[in-house]
Amino acid sequence: MTKSLVTLTIDGIEVSVPEGTLIVDAAKKVGIDIPVFCYHPKLHPVGMCRMCLVEIGRPARDRSTGEPIFDEDGQQVIHFGPNLETSCTTPVGEGWVIRVNSEKAREGRKQIVEYLLTSHPLDCPICDKGGECPLQNLTMEHGPGTSRFLFDEKIDLDKHVPLGELIFLDRERCIQCARCVRFQEEVVDDPVLGFTNRGRRLEIITSSDPGFDSYFSGNTTDICPVGALTTADFRFGARPWELNRAASICPHCPVGCNLTLNTRREARAEGRDVIKRVMPRQNEHVNEIWICDKGRFAHHFASSIERLTKPMVRVNGDLVQVGWDEALVRATEGLKDALGRSKGGLVGIAGGRASNEDLYVFRRFIEGLDGHTVLDDNLAGGDLTREMGVGRGTDLGQIGPGDVILVIASDLHEEAPIWWLRLKQAVERGAELIVANARATRLDRYAAHIIRYPYRRAVQTALGLLHAVTKRADLSPFVGDKSLQKVAKLFMKAENAIIFYGREGLDYKASEALAQACASLLTSTDHVGRANNGLIAVWPRVNTQGAWDMGLQPIPSGLGEILEQASAVYVMASDPVADDASLETLLREDTFLVVQELFMTPTAELADVVFPARSFIEREGTYTSGEHRVQRFYPAVLPLGGTKSDWRIVTSLANAMGIELNFPSAAAVMLAIAESVPNYSDLTYQALTIAESQWPHVGGESLYFGGNAFKNSQGLGVQVGPAAEPGEPSEVALTMPVEESEEDGLLLVPITRLYDRGTTVLPSKVLHPRLERLHIELNPKDASHLGVIDGAQVEFRMNGKRFQLPARLVATVPEGIALMPRSLGVSVVNPIPVQISSVE
Amino acid sequence: MLAEKYSSEIESILAKYPDDRKRSAVLPLMYLAQCEYGSVTLEAMIEIADLLDIDVTQVASLIGFYTLLWDRPGGKYRIQICTDLPCALQGAEEFAHQLCEKLGIQLGGTTPDGMISVEGVMCLAACNGAPMFQVQGPDGIQYHERQTVESALALIDELRKRDDSG
Repeated sequence: MTKSLVTLTIDGIEVSVPEGTLIVDAAKKVGIDIPVFCYHPKLHPVGMCRMCLVEIGRPARDRSTGEPIFDEDGQQVIHFGPNLETSCTTPVGEGWVIRVNSEKAREGRKQIVEYLLTSHPLDCPICDKGGECPLQNLTMEHGPGTSRFLFDEKIDLDKHVPLGELIFLDRERCIQCARCVRFQEEVVDDPVLGFTNRGRRLEIITSSDPGFDSYFSGNTTDICPVGALTTADFRFGARPWELNRAASICPHCPVGCNLTLNTRREARAEGRDVIKRVMPRQNEHVNEIWICDKGRFAHHFASSIERLTKPMVRVNGDLVQVGWDEALVRATEGLKDALGRSKGGLVGIAGGRASNEDLYVFRRFIEGLDGHTVLDDNLAGGDLTREMGVGRGTDLGQIGPGDVILVIASDLHEEAPIWWLRLKQAVERGAELIVANARATRLDRYAAHIIRYPYRRAVQTALGLLHAVTKRADLSPFVGDKSLQKVAKLFMKAENAIIFYGREGLDYKASEALAQACASLLTSTDHVGRANNGLIAVWPRVNTQGAWDMGLQPIPSGLGEILEQASAVYVMASDPVADDASLETLLREDTFLVVQELFMTPTAELADVVFPARSFIEREGTYTSGEHRVQRFYPAVLPLGGTKSDWRIVTSLANAMGIELNFPSAAAVMLAIAESVPNYSDLTYQALTIAESQWPHVGGESLYFGGNAFKNSQGLGVQVGPAAEPGEPSEVALTMPVEESEEDGLLLVPITRLYDRGTTVLPSKVLHPRLERLHIELNPKDASHLGVIDGAQVEFRMNGKRFQLPARLVATVPEGIALMPRSLGVSVVNPIPVQISSVE
Repeated sequence: MLAEKYSSEIESILAKYPDDRKRSAVLPLMYLAQCEYGSVTLEAMIEIADLLDIDVTQVASLIGFYTLLWDRPGGKYRIQICTDLPCALQGAEEFAHQLCEKLGIQLGGTTPDGMISVEGVMCLAACNGAPMFQVQGPDGIQYHERQTVESALALIDELRKRDDSG
């Protein structure tokens, strides 16, 4: 439904905007900046700060007839009220005349600035915001320069108040705009900030445990119009004007949030450029102007001193540092020798952390040597998301009334926080959300329907839904209850439908069956091949989708079998031994192992040759997001030591092995990708840099309006469409689930927590107090059967090893289940029955 | 736990509000907690937040706004003197200052015997009776208008006696 247009005049400029637009936004659209502090285009207006005062003239009307009044010259008479009004709370009216820069309005704003400064400490020289501070800028523009208030009557408040481990509050600098309080309440629904006291003694408080308990807390420092909120990471770290910037993409999850990396050369780093802070870069199709705290704070791995900087080769059993030439010779000889032997061939294992360019040349290299490529991942369905993924033009920000979203077997708040946020907002616009999982998650709060199934019954549930839609006879064993019928009806009448599927409680094969059932549900309700419809996988890594698109995929039965056959193994951006220690013996034997890595991982420790790779901050490349948006990241700092980009390491070795792989640049690799990968055919590095202007305006000149997020001038990326055309009859083969026999004991299910202890998180010390600790979560009933109390130690045996760890009793854990967060020290890839007992 | 001791009171407070406006019960519940514990303790705030399905910060932030409520222990009787503008013009600030001097405490402080706290508060809607204060104690809230330091001290003596005999 389009809104009718309203025409008004602002400082002499005529503008037509949709009915309901606020005056402040209408002015911004024609380039007139009305100053604001409390107003933010992403928040509901409150009119608290009074900075946006303007004169509003409304057409005069005859009181008896209601007709407009005209003067002698035939001009409509405009009445201006006696008082200034807040342009941030007043929607436009037809024929109105707004005076923004009249003497009266300017005087009003000058008095507001004078008042705001009565208790402001004016410590700009030591303030992190100084140089990019709306209060500083607007004081220069509108302020009086002197104050009539008495310095002795200034209210002194606390200056270094930790609101938690991540965010600090300076109470004196706060101008009480409530942007942070409102962001936490309205946008991310973590209402852990509040105001207490009154008047000039008003203070921001948090009572949550831990303090300021929110995965989105860092965003408040971007929209804070003064230096009241600062991050523990950047606080007193640098002045904004000293910072250089580079566009980047967050490497932590498949959302692909757009980032700006701020860098500075530092003596402390021996004159190298270092990352000083990570900021959101506006992309309204992906992350708007927000990022989660993991994206903001977990960047230190990229500049960790633990990074590998020189190639290494194994000499007499030990890895020793050598030059690139020697390492390449050793790798070439080793590979030739191993492949020359009669035993099986070459296996190339790569992870979803690598860029499209890396993965493409990797596959060409391994296949050039007649080897097998394997994607190290345990979620299936990349072929289906390639065929039936969301259509071109998909924007979660446009999902609304009449649209349906199903999230199954995933906890988005922990796995992909910005997707969680985008879905919450879709519900607020009127979309219907269905959340299906074996346990309660944060997304349930916004769900129109919650489907709860026992772990190991996710596939059956999806097939039950499919039966309700198709009435296929072969699916009758999965007929579900009435709630499934209801959800099926929603799907059938939905204008648009998207399914997010994850891997919680599933092994690889089950995830494949789930992906098939979900894809089939979409095709049989005609929800594929067009914008805002299709299948999205909640991948564990940033570029898992890209890896599938580049032609890599996992082996359903796991790595064990193929590694047993292999005489040489090449590993890139993956650490299979950390996930499955039993692979160690297979790789240790007479297998020739080459690893390219950032760190000395358990897999790298077994290698015959180790190549040091560059991290995402030192190189360029592209990632493909879960929504199939291909996005570029750029080098932000000079490469560390003797590191090289993964794709370059591969091409050097390929050429030494006699395989023609010559690419002068990452951009050239992309051209080759465009030639051979169908959906990528119109991609070039130039196309990826196109950035149309976006609303709202943020950053730069508009930082007081939209906060400190960076305007996107380096590219919004290109969404590649799915292979399936709309209306194309596409039959998805289904795999029927195998009923698993109930075993004794509890089913140990790995789950994902945002702050884990993986190699890309642990080097960020700022996050340490918030990192999850190794533990197991039990239902209180199971725990009481086992005689376990909250916090007590329990033990279990798995794959022949004994593990001991503390238990937490959590009421939302289903009975018969033990949950264990991943990447905390004990590796559990698939759900596995265990016998848990209390440790005396 | 409040819920155990005052389940019927809590039920009747909650019954006054529609199910989707439960959070409106936050003030009466905090007053209940304060009458029980002498101040709204963190444990009580957490319990109230759970009862109303809101964040504990949303409970805690109200305490600073309302002079009726406090989150740390004070005297058994709290003498709350209105020091807003109309009362200040009638000498409320001077009155508060002198009273505190006589009691040997700072404004906001508590006498060593733990009996009396004196606080300056926002408007109590009795400007015509300034200087005035309210006394909050175990037996509820009473207004005392047109006060002098002498009349206030006499009242304090009486409060102390009442406590001895009770």
